[in-house]
Amino acid sequence: MKSYKVLSNRQIGEATFVLRVERPSDTIKAGQCFSVGTRQLGINREYSMYSSSYEPYLEFLIRRVPDGLVSSTLSELRQGDEVEVGGPYGDFCLDSHSIGATHFVFIASGTGVAPFHSFVRTFPELSYHLYYGVRYESDLVDVGDYTSSSITLCVSRASSSPERVTHRLEKESLNPDGVYYLCGNRQMITDVVSLLRRRGIPGGRIYMETFF
Amino acid sequence: MRIAISYPPIENELGQKAMVSQNRNVQFFKKPTYLLPVIHAQAATALVENGHDVRWDDGNAQLKSFDQWFQDLVDWAPDVVVFESTTPVMKFYWRLCDKLKSCLPKSTIVMTGYHSMRQPEETIRNSAVDVVLRSSNIDFVLPRLVRFIEKNLFWRMSCDIEGLTISLGDGEVRSTGNFIQVEPLDDTPLVDRNLIQWKNYAYENGNFLQTPGTYATSVIRDCMFGKCTFCRYNGPDLSFSMMSVQRSLDEYERLIKGYGVREIFDDSGVWYRGKEAREFARGIIERGLHKSDCYFGFNTRFEYLDEDTIKLLGEANFRFVLLGFEAADDETLTRLNKGYQMEHVERCLTWLTKYGLHPHLTIMVGYYWQTQEQLDLTVETVRKLMFRGLARTLQVTICTPLDYTPYHQECTDKGVLLTDDYDDHDMSKVIVKTPIPHDEYYKAIRKIYGISVHPRFLLRQLRFLLTFRRREWQFLFVYGRRALRRVRQHVYNLTQAREQLG
Repeated sequence: MKSYKVLSNRQIGEATFVLRVERPSDTIKAGQCFSVGTRQLGINREYSMYSSSYEPYLEFLIRRVPDGLVSSTLSELRQGDEVEVGGPYGDFCLDSHSIGATHFVFIASGTGVAPFHSFVRTFPELSYHLYYGVRYESDLVDVGDYTSSSITLCVSRASSSPERVTHRLEKESLNPDGVYYLCGNRQMITDVVSLLRRRGIPGGRIYMETFF
Repeated sequence: MRIAISYPPIENELGQKAMVSQNRNVQFFKKPTYLLPVIHAQAATALVENGHDVRWDDGNAQLKSFDQWFQDLVDWAPDVVVFESTTPVMKFYWRLCDKLKSCLPKSTIVMTGYHSMRQPEETIRNSAVDVVLRSSNIDFVLPRLVRFIEKNLFWRMSCDIEGLTISLGDGEVRSTGNFIQVEPLDDTPLVDRNLIQWKNYAYENGNFLQTPGTYATSVIRDCMFGKCTFCRYNGPDLSFSMMSVQRSLDEYERLIKGYGVREIFDDSGVWYRGKEAREFARGIIERGLHKSDCYFGFNTRFEYLDEDTIKLLGEANFRFVLLGFEAADDETLTRLNKGYQMEHVERCLTWLTKYGLHPHLTIMVGYYWQTQEQLDLTVETVRKLMFRGLARTLQVTICTPLDYTPYHQECTDKGVLLTDDYDDHDMSKVIVKTPIPHDEYYKAIRKIYGISVHPRFLLRQLRFLLTFRRREWQFLFVYGRRALRRVRQHVYNLTQAREQLG
């Protein structure tokens, strides 16, 4: 863990924000995560990278959790403040050899969209479809960064046509040859894996990153 | 069906018994400690619930000799026998499976465990094993497999349950594809304590401050961090899952009120943190379980628990907290993906001891890059932490590349692994090329263990003991005796045992 400067803190909706910090010099792959905390707290939490792997900064998409000490503290950071960052960790990444030859299906709930945003920004030639589920429309983040034909939005508490991402997937005809990446809360992951299994998608083509 | 979940007593040439230990790897000890294999116990419970006749067959915990254990198993003639593999005893298991198959040709032998799940064909090729489970979710997969075998005569060809490698005979195998692990832990049964004869595990366990103790049904499957390079709970085939707080609280209440346990340890790789940890502690207090003379313990990481949460855990009667302190130098911590900082280590330990918890450090030495300077820094840091009373007990192990972990892969890629003999992976010696002689790591281990009998540390412990209520002296004496025995065994393994085994 080392200290880095906060470059900006962009508030999105009531509880979500994008924290941009100085980039560590390490080689970083899209989809990896970092431990993030502050010196005062003495504790940290893991967050997936939201920015691309080549940008000169790191971004994290974070939801302020009620009763959550780290997310609340990070939400209050401003430009010039210091933040402790450790990593990168993990291998929730794309196989660079399969880009161009594979169709990827990304399924996200809430801030679980972060690694997919990182993928899409890093690999502009990516063939993908993103199913992006949130509770409220105000929780949707940077929807314009995705090709409009490659994204399906599901708002579970929308004023009109509310829909959970899992329910939407039930109605879709899923690409049997696609490679599926899931990121988000445990319940969504469990439900979607179960659905994919029922649809005959083999376990070897399902990758997941579960939030806790 | 008749199903045996079996753990054979395994002895080495020195009469030491193989005990499943850290990371579910085996170490040999003269005086055993009995760790409940929680996931297999849940699998046994699930099979009973499905109407099967299940034999919980832990030859070690049941104090059987190998011959007695083997004969009893053969006499029982199960339809299915389930073993748990681990690297240092893999060859033993292969021979055992052959011997068992010759006595019980109709029985199906199922191999589970972190070694065979990563190299299933090897086990099928080298033994009479029928199926290898490539999942750590034994409690989910085994009942499905047994159900399928029961209903399908030609199950070897038709079984489509993911994550199995099946022997077709003559060295031919059939794979049912990768298993994707995401199972809701609330759907697997809590351990049936009577089935597994819980008292066999209630006394001889170094993690218990008082007895009878027991392991809770783990609230986290594998690890919520899951990125430490040396650890088994790391890999694309593993993904953590979590049990609900209320369900775990219900089990604690049942264990205390129904079984009279006085210590409950949750051996999840990393226990709850944040709001779940606080909710759990509040739940213990609301149910009055903090006044039941039962201590609670768990594994955690540095920089995971804040002061308020620790305070609450202290109020809820949590005591034993096991923390991995793998090294004190930044390079090692970075290479292991540990990423904690000494400043926060000290702060975390200060909070833990301030609120009456009992930090136990698990230290490792012998990384292939570890210099004398790095080693000395670890020893010196541990000495300071212990002398300042920030940690109460410790254990030191040699970092053994556990097969197919990123650290193991790294050792293989760099050509620093000195042996490919599985027997050498029992954590009794350094098995990688290092920049300094191996003896330096053994010396460091002796120095670290020496801290726990240093007069300055003993004085500190005595002052700590004086803060306790009188009736707790007895358990601390018993615990201290067990801790010293563990120190003696580790030191023996690193000196006389190595010399005798050559």
